[in-house]
Amino acid sequence: MKYLPLVWAAIMRKPTRAILTFLSVMVAFTLFGLTIGMNATFDKMQEQARADRIWSWARFATGNSTLPVALARQIEALPGVSGVGTAAALGGYHADPKNRAFAWMMDDKVRTVMTDWPITAQQWDLLKNNRQGLIISKIAAERWKLKPGDSFTMIAPRTKKADGSTSWVFHILSVADDISYFTDGFMMGNYDYLDKARPLAQQGKAGQFFIQSGNPDRAAEVAQKIDATFANSAVPLQSTTEKAALDVAANTGIDIAAADREIALAGMFMVLFLTANSIAQAVRERFAEFATLKTVGFTDTGVILLVFAEAALPCLIGAVLGVGLAALVSSLIPKLMSGNGIPIPTVSAMVVFWAMLAAALVALVSSALPALRLKQMDIATALSGRT
Amino acid sequence: MLRQILIVSALNFKSLKSRFWQSMVIVVGLGATIGVLLSMMSLTEGMQKSYAHAGDPGRAIVVSKGADYESQSTITRAMAPLIIDAPGIAKDKDGKPMADRGLNMGLPILRANGTKGYTTMRGFGSYGAALRPEFQLVKGRMFEPGKREMIVGVSAQTLFQNMQIGDSVILPDGAWPIVGVYTTGDILDGQVIGDTETMLTALRRATYNTILVRLASQESFDAFKKALTTNPALSVTVERHSDWYAKFSSQSTRFLVLMAYVVGIIMAIGALFGCLNTMYAAVSTRAREIATLRALGYGAFPVSVSVILEAVTLAAIGALAGAAIAWLLNDGKSSTWGWNIFTLTVSPSLIGFGIFWAVGVALLGGLFPSIRAARRPVVEALRAT
Repeated sequence: MKYLPLVWAAIMRKPTRAILTFLSVMVAFTLFGLTIGMNATFDKMQEQARADRIWSWARFATGNSTLPVALARQIEALPGVSGVGTAAALGGYHADPKNRAFAWMMDDKVRTVMTDWPITAQQWDLLKNNRQGLIISKIAAERWKLKPGDSFTMIAPRTKKADGSTSWVFHILSVADDISYFTDGFMMGNYDYLDKARPLAQQGKAGQFFIQSGNPDRAAEVAQKIDATFANSAVPLQSTTEKAALDVAANTGIDIAAADREIALAGMFMVLFLTANSIAQAVRERFAEFATLKTVGFTDTGVILLVFAEAALPCLIGAVLGVGLAALVSSLIPKLMSGNGIPIPTVSAMVVFWAMLAAALVALVSSALPALRLKQMDIATALSGRT
Repeated sequence: MLRQILIVSALNFKSLKSRFWQSMVIVVGLGATIGVLLSMMSLTEGMQKSYAHAGDPGRAIVVSKGADYESQSTITRAMAPLIIDAPGIAKDKDGKPMADRGLNMGLPILRANGTKGYTTMRGFGSYGAALRPEFQLVKGRMFEPGKREMIVGVSAQTLFQNMQIGDSVILPDGAWPIVGVYTTGDILDGQVIGDTETMLTALRRATYNTILVRLASQESFDAFKKALTTNPALSVTVERHSDWYAKFSSQSTRFLVLMAYVVGIIMAIGALFGCLNTMYAAVSTRAREIATLRALGYGAFPVSVSVILEAVTLAAIGALAGAAIAWLLNDGKSSTWGWNIFTLTVSPSLIGFGIFWAVGVALLGGLFPSIRAARRPVVEALRAT
């Protein structure tokens, strides 16, 4: 610690170079924070996605409502199934077709299946007792600027009411915490509102079942059994575990996590080159000074540590500030570009740890060659300035 | 003046060797930036190309109002004749309007990697193939109308399991054998096609999804659209097929384009600081050399220009290297995004864009050092050690 002023003085010897190197490192770590943070979000989604739950749709869906609700009770009777919740999607827009809006219309059984959702018993009760009620998440509340007591009108051109109207009016009941895999936030309404308002011929149909199997090891097997049971019925089903349903890489066909790592790596490569050059140059310029240090009794290790510290300080500070900037940018995403379904990067402790590790590695590699030169230096020659 | 610039720049480039690693900071920085930017954009470029090819301004598509996708649209059997009899549709040699009743819905498939997913299953009516000159059968034969048969796209065969001739597609009332393989050179290549009416029966459905028509001429679109949108018995949206896909393409690539730009800009800022650093260092190590030139009567402007020229050249080399890496890693590879399939593309225009981007960074990164180089008092620089 007592050598800190020495290191600092060395860095600030060429302020322009120091500041530019530092800024470049910081920017690269902002990118690192965003990309690796995005992966942390995907990991969190996979972690929160349950292996014991099954999501089930009509194999051949026409529109949002093809599944007869009555099937839920038949599925419930199958061995290995402990509960079935019913949901239908209501999609449309608010005020302007550009403002796409979307609500999950749920029956009361969903609460018994999605027990890990951050929706309290009280909120579920409110929803059950208010047909036109809506529970919204914090991100949704921020996006639509809504608070409990407000009303919200959705125009759903593809979901007509019995009277021919496409305008669906909701009352905001309560705001809940977000669920990681609903990246745009969520709005949850009462299935009965959707169902009873529709023409008679369309009633009793939903879009999706949430099924609790109670056993993560057997869920895939139960899903297959459900599909087999209804394979020859009027409405065959397509079932998969929640974990598989929310697997981003499988659903997009692109390994985004790998792409994120490659981008972060490209940034690190750029920074490594820059830092290595800066530190090599700094050592070259002050070769005689290092010789002096050795003359007054600094050991090889001491001098090498000084050089490493000179490389590491801007790297580590750059990493911390860069990742901090990434966290700041991430927190602004819902405000700046909501409604795009962009997964918001999570700058978790793990991301910070990886960033620090990467910074330390960059510093280590970039100071290795200069350190070697200092170790092998001939003090007398160096002092004379004939390097 | 020009001669001076040439001489000073030549001197610069000759001395580059002694500043090799320093200069590599610019090359590597912009190489990484452009490599990443172009790799990301190869995805969106490929998607846009695939959609652009699928749309033909000589065709128009009719969907029900409010439908964003073909699969969301419903055209009833009562609506279909009203649409098909509208003015502006091309007639075939028998004088019949060239209009196709289409079906479009998700078909569960097994991806090559064994995971469950969906692709698009289409129904072609009697004009489905005739309306699409790009449609070509490459293997086997066309499905027969009225029969439970399917044909599959060339890309569907590589992306999904059980898509060879002789395999079957499972619909609610049984297995439909695959009898042929087609290509259109666009997103349809990842899909599966059968006969609309037969499929409707099997699926116990009564409504079509879309009506696709060949316009009598590109100009007859307005008359066709007007006839449909003013008909009180219809509630439909009419779009040129090319516009329909263009909208689709911009919707599905918007997010990816945005990400590419965000990443590209962040990396460019990082590279910019590196570029500034290198050029400031270059100017300061060459301070005496520059001062000597100035003392010999060379102007400040040629000195400045030579500094910027050096930065731009190094950046362009980096950009080319980055583009080459992006091209080698991505170009021509088959990829999917959601339900759609396309070929990653690093086109010459994309490479041009990358070089443009890098040169922009280098101009900024060379500007301030060049000003410093030109402004340094000659006497002071000559004295400095």
